[in-house]
Amino acid sequence: MAQQKIISRPSLGAFMNKYGIVVIFIGLCVILSIVSPAFLSIRNITNVIRQVSIIGIVSMGVTFCIITTGIDLSSGSMIALISVVVASMSQNAVSDSQPISIVMPILFAILISLALGAILGTINGSLTAFGKIPPFIATLGMMTAAKGAAALYTQGRPVGNLKDAFTFIGTGSFIGIPIPIWIYIVMAVLSHILLSKTKFGRHVFAIGGNEQAARICGINVEKTLVKVYAYAGFLTAVSAIMLTARTSAGNPTYGLAYELDAIASTVIGGTSLSGGIGSIPFCVIGALIIGVLNNGMDLLGVNAYWQQIVKGFIIVIAVLIDARKQKRK
Amino acid sequence: MIKRMAMVLVVLSMLIIPMAVFANGQQDDGVITIGAAMSSFADKGQTYLQDGVRAFDAEYDDVEVLMTDAKDDPAVQLNQVETLLTKGVDAILIVPVDISALKPVFAKCKEDGVKLVIANRMPAEEFHDDFDVYTGSESIQAGLLQAEWVAEAMQPEGGKVGILMGPLGHEAAMMRTEGNKQIFDKYDNIEIVMDAEGKWDRAKGMQIAENWIQSGAGLNAIVCNNDEMAIGTLLAAEGANLADEDIIIAGIDATPDALEFLGEGLDVTVFQNMNAQGYNGAAACYKLVKGEMVEKWDWIPFELVTTENMDEYK
Amino acid sequence: MSNENVLEMRNVHKSFPGVKALKGVDLTIKKGSVHALMGENGAGKSTLMKILYGIFHPEEGEVIFKGQPYSVKSPIDAINRGISMIPQEISPCPNLTVASNVFLGKEITANGVKLLNQKQMVKETQALFDDLGIDIDPSVMMSEISIANAQLVAIATAVSYNADLVIMDEPTSALTEKEIDKLYDIIRDLRDKKKIAVVYISHKLDEIFTICDEVSVLRDGEYIGSDSIENFDKDRLISMMVGRTMDEFFHKEEAVIGDVLLEVKDMSLSRKFKNVSFQLKQGEVLGVAGLMGAGRTEVMEALFGYRPADSGEIFIKGEKVEIKEPIDAIKHGIAFVTEDRKLTGIFPELSIKDNMIMPDIENYLKGGLLDSKKIKENCQTQREAIAIKTPTLEQLIKNLSGGNQQKVLISRWLLTTPEILILDEPTRGIDVGAKSEIHRLIGELAKMGKSIIMISSEMPEILSMSDRIMVMHEGKCSGEISRKDATQEKILALATGEQL
Repeated sequence: MAQQKIISRPSLGAFMNKYGIVVIFIGLCVILSIVSPAFLSIRNITNVIRQVSIIGIVSMGVTFCIITTGIDLSSGSMIALISVVVASMSQNAVSDSQPISIVMPILFAILISLALGAILGTINGSLTAFGKIPPFIATLGMMTAAKGAAALYTQGRPVGNLKDAFTFIGTGSFIGIPIPIWIYIVMAVLSHILLSKTKFGRHVFAIGGNEQAARICGINVEKTLVKVYAYAGFLTAVSAIMLTARTSAGNPTYGLAYELDAIASTVIGGTSLSGGIGSIPFCVIGALIIGVLNNGMDLLGVNAYWQQIVKGFIIVIAVLIDARKQKRK
Repeated sequence: MIKRMAMVLVVLSMLIIPMAVFANGQQDDGVITIGAAMSSFADKGQTYLQDGVRAFDAEYDDVEVLMTDAKDDPAVQLNQVETLLTKGVDAILIVPVDISALKPVFAKCKEDGVKLVIANRMPAEEFHDDFDVYTGSESIQAGLLQAEWVAEAMQPEGGKVGILMGPLGHEAAMMRTEGNKQIFDKYDNIEIVMDAEGKWDRAKGMQIAENWIQSGAGLNAIVCNNDEMAIGTLLAAEGANLADEDIIIAGIDATPDALEFLGEGLDVTVFQNMNAQGYNGAAACYKLVKGEMVEKWDWIPFELVTTENMDEYK
Repeated sequence: MSNENVLEMRNVHKSFPGVKALKGVDLTIKKGSVHALMGENGAGKSTLMKILYGIFHPEEGEVIFKGQPYSVKSPIDAINRGISMIPQEISPCPNLTVASNVFLGKEITANGVKLLNQKQMVKETQALFDDLGIDIDPSVMMSEISIANAQLVAIATAVSYNADLVIMDEPTSALTEKEIDKLYDIIRDLRDKKKIAVVYISHKLDEIFTICDEVSVLRDGEYIGSDSIENFDKDRLISMMVGRTMDEFFHKEEAVIGDVLLEVKDMSLSRKFKNVSFQLKQGEVLGVAGLMGAGRTEVMEALFGYRPADSGEIFIKGEKVEIKEPIDAIKHGIAFVTEDRKLTGIFPELSIKDNMIMPDIENYLKGGLLDSKKIKENCQTQREAIAIKTPTLEQLIKNLSGGNQQKVLISRWLLTTPEILILDEPTRGIDVGAKSEIHRLIGELAKMGKSIIMISSEMPEILSMSDRIMVMHEGKCSGEISRKDATQEKILALATGEQL
C-alpha cells in the first residue's frame, strides 16, 4: 500500500480546540484581576472555589450522565429534599414544629443522606436503563417528585438549629483551607480516577460513544447506566449536605435551577451533549468559569439584569465552540 | 398493552379517588365554603398566611375551607380558581401569584356571583372595583420602615449600602427595594453602591454577600428584601470575621429563624403579620357571605422588630 | 472544449489541515458515458466528487461543465446546475413515505397554499419508478422497504433532478446480484436513452468491467491516467491503482483441520432464521455465503448472544453452553468482528488503545485501576503484528482509514485470545491493499489453530479463503460445499434457493 499521510503536527488550532476553555478561563481571571484589585487576593480565591464547590460537585455527576448521552435534571430538587432530610437529623434538639425531626449522631445523618442520594439516583438510572424512559423524562419526573417530597417533609418550612459539628462541614476549615474546598478536591480526584482510570469509566465512555458496539464488547449497558445515575445521586447528596451545613439550615426551596447551572458548567467544560466526550478536570474548569464570572460581576457591582445576560452569552458561546468542533469532524 | 393500561388506570384511581373524596367532602347547606387559592405551599412566608386561614377554619364549625396550591404559577392558579368555582364555593380568598394576571379571576367571580377577597398582594389601581375586600400590607411600607431604621443607625457618619433583592419582577421585591431607595435618597451621606438579585435564597444571598465583602467596597450596611438572604449575609460576614458592629444587616419577614439571629449579627427585621392576613382574609369571606358589612381595605401594619422588642414575636 | 465532453476538470488542488488530498487532478467525462473512477481508499475519489457536489471547494484548478465554468457552493447549487450524487451511505428519513423521500427538499404543494400535495407526489414518484423499471410502492414508509430498495430509491431521487451527470459512490455495496443487474439496466437506460453521464465509484473490479465505458485512476491524490475500458485488464487496472502488480486475492493455504470445536443445533429466531445447524472444526475457515437478508448476520448475532435465539443448542468442545449475552460468548472464547464498523464496531471518540481493550478490560486491572503499562505493551505488540498505520496508539480511531479501523477491531478481538473468531464481511469498503493483508491474517490465524467463521458477499473472497462454505437462503441453511467442490455457480444456485 502506498505511503499514507499522517496528521500529527501540533498546530495552534488543535491546541485551542483542546485547551481553548482553559485559555478563556485564564483570560477571564487576568481581566478581572486588572479591573478589580480585590479579585486576586487569596481570600477571594478561596471564596470563589468554596462557592463553586456545591455546583461543581453536582456537575461532575452530570458529566458522567451526559457522557452516556443522558442528562440529570433532578439534581436541584434532590438537593432540596436531601437538605431538609439531613437537617432534620442534625438538629440540636427535636423540634415540635416540624413533622419529622430525629436527633442522631451526625455521622449517621450524613451516611443516611448519602444513601438517600444514591437511591434516588438508582431510581433515575433504573427508569432509564430498564424502563427505557429517556433520561430527560425520567429525571424530569424525579425533579418534580423530589421537590414535592421536600416541601411535604417540612410542610414548606426551613429546618434550622443545627449542631455545630454538622455546620462545621460548611463553615470550618482544615490547614487554612475551607472544608467545602477539601470535599470538592476529594470528589474531583475520586471522580477523575473513576472516569479515566477504571473499567467503569471506560464503559461509561463506550456506552456514550457507541451503545451497540458496547453491547457487542460484552458490556452490561443497563447495569453501567444505573451505576452512573447512582453516582450522580451520591454526588448530589454530598452537595446538599455541604449546602445545608454552609447555610446552617435545610430548606425545600434550596437547589432551585441548580441542575441548569450544573449542566452549564459541564457543557462549558467541553462535555459533548452528543455523548462519548468529557473529562472531570475540564468540568472543574467549567464550574470555575461560572463561579469566577459570578464573583467578578458581584465584585464590580454589575447590575443584576446584566449578570444574567452575560451568563447566558457565556453558555451559548461554549456550546457554539463545541458545535464547531463537531462540525469540523 | 391493554392490561398495562388498565393497571395504570387502577393505580391512578387508587391515588386520586381518596383525595377527591377528602377534598370534596362538604356540600351541605348551612356551611359556608371558602375557596382559598394560595400562591405557594413551598413559600415559607405564605405558610404562615395559610396557617391563619386554617386557624379561622378551625374556629368556626360552619366554615369549610378548600385550599389549593398554585406552585407560584399564574396559569395553574387560574385553573384552580375555576375548579373551586365549579365546586360551588361561596367565596374565594386568593393570594395572587401574579397581580397583573387577575382579570380572568375577576370576570369568573362576577359571573358566578361569588365574593372575592384578595390577600397579601395588592392588584393595580384600575382593578380596585373588581374585588370585595383587600387584606394585606403595602410592600413599600416594609422597605420604608426597614431603610429608615438602617439610615438612622448609620448616622452621623453615613456610608455605603448594598441591597439584596428578591427575584427581579416580583412585586414585593420591587416595592421593598423602591421603599429602601426612597429613604436612602433623602440622606446625602448614604450611597447605594451595590444591588444584586438574591432570589429570596439564603445560599445565593450568602454568595453575593461574600463577594461584596471581598470586593473591598467597604459596605456599611446590607439591606435585604427578606430574612433568608439576610441570614445568608450574616453567615458571610461571620465567615469573613466581620464583627457585628462592623456592618448593619437588615431583613424583612421576622421569620423564627431570623429572630434567632437578631442581635447575633442581624440588626433589624420587619414583621409582616401574615397570619393575621390569612385569618382576616378568611374572616372577610365569612362575613361577606353572611351579608355583614366589611371594610374594603383591611390594612395590616408592618412592625419593626429589633433586639428590644423581639421577645414579643417569638 | 469538445462538445462530447460533459465535464472537464483540470489541475484541481485541495488540501486539508496536514494533508494534500488532491494534487493537480484532471478528469474528463464524455457525454452519455459511464465513467469509472478508481483508486484505493484515500486516493482522493470522494474528495474530487465532493468538490463537484459543492461540499468542498478546490484551492486551485478549473472545472468546466457543459461548456460553462463551474463553481458551486452547496449540493443544492450542484443539483440546480445538473449534477447529482448518490452518497456511499444513504440516509433516508425512515419516518416518511418513499414518495416524500424522493421529493425531500422539493415537495409539491397544493395551489398557493403551503400544504403538501401527497397524492401528486405519489403519482409522480410512481411515474418515475415506472420509467426506471423500479418496483416499489411510493406510498409505503421508507422504514418498511429493504436497504437494497432504499438504494434504488436514492438512485431514482438523483435521477429525478434531471441531472446531466450522476455520481454513484459504491452504489452496489448493499445490493444483491439480482438487484445489481437491475441497477445495471437503469444505468444503461440513463446512458443510452437520456444521454446522462455517470461517474461510477466502486472497489469491485467485476462491476467496472461489466458496466463502465471508461476508467480514470487516482492514487494518493494524483491523477494516474484514463483510458477506454477495452484497453484494461484486471492486472493492469490494479497495478495502476496500487502502483505495483499483485495477486488480486490472497489464497489461504491448506491448514491442518482438527476436531469439531463448535456445534450449533437447530437454532431458530422468529422471522429471521429457522433450524440452523452447523459445525466448526479447529483451524477451519467456514465461509458463510448468501444474499443480503438471508439471515447470515442474524445467526452469528444469536450465536454471540447479541440477539439471542428463541431456541436451539450450542456445544463447544462437545459441552452444551448457554449464551444469553455477549459476555457469555466472550467467556467461551468467541469473538465477533461485526459487519458495520460504524454502527456496532468502533467507539469513534476513543483512542485506538481504548478501542482495543474494551472487551477484556478485566485483564488490564491492577488493584482496581487500569494498568496503562500493560495496556500499552499489549496494544503495541498487536499493532506491530498486524501493521496498523498510525503515529500513536493515542490517536482517535475515527481519524484512521477504514482498513486500519478494521485492523484495530480485529486486534480488539485477538487480544481476547479467542478460539472462535466470527468475521462478518471483514473486508467490506476497505481498499485493495488492506484487504489482502486481512486475508493473509485470516490464513495465519487458521494456521495457528483458530477456528474462523467468515461471512462474505464477495464471491472471490469466499472461494479463496474458505475451507468449507455454508450457504444460506431465506433464513435456512441451503447447503454446504467443500473447498475443492466449490464454484461460483454452485454457491449462487444455493443462495438463490435452487437445488444442486
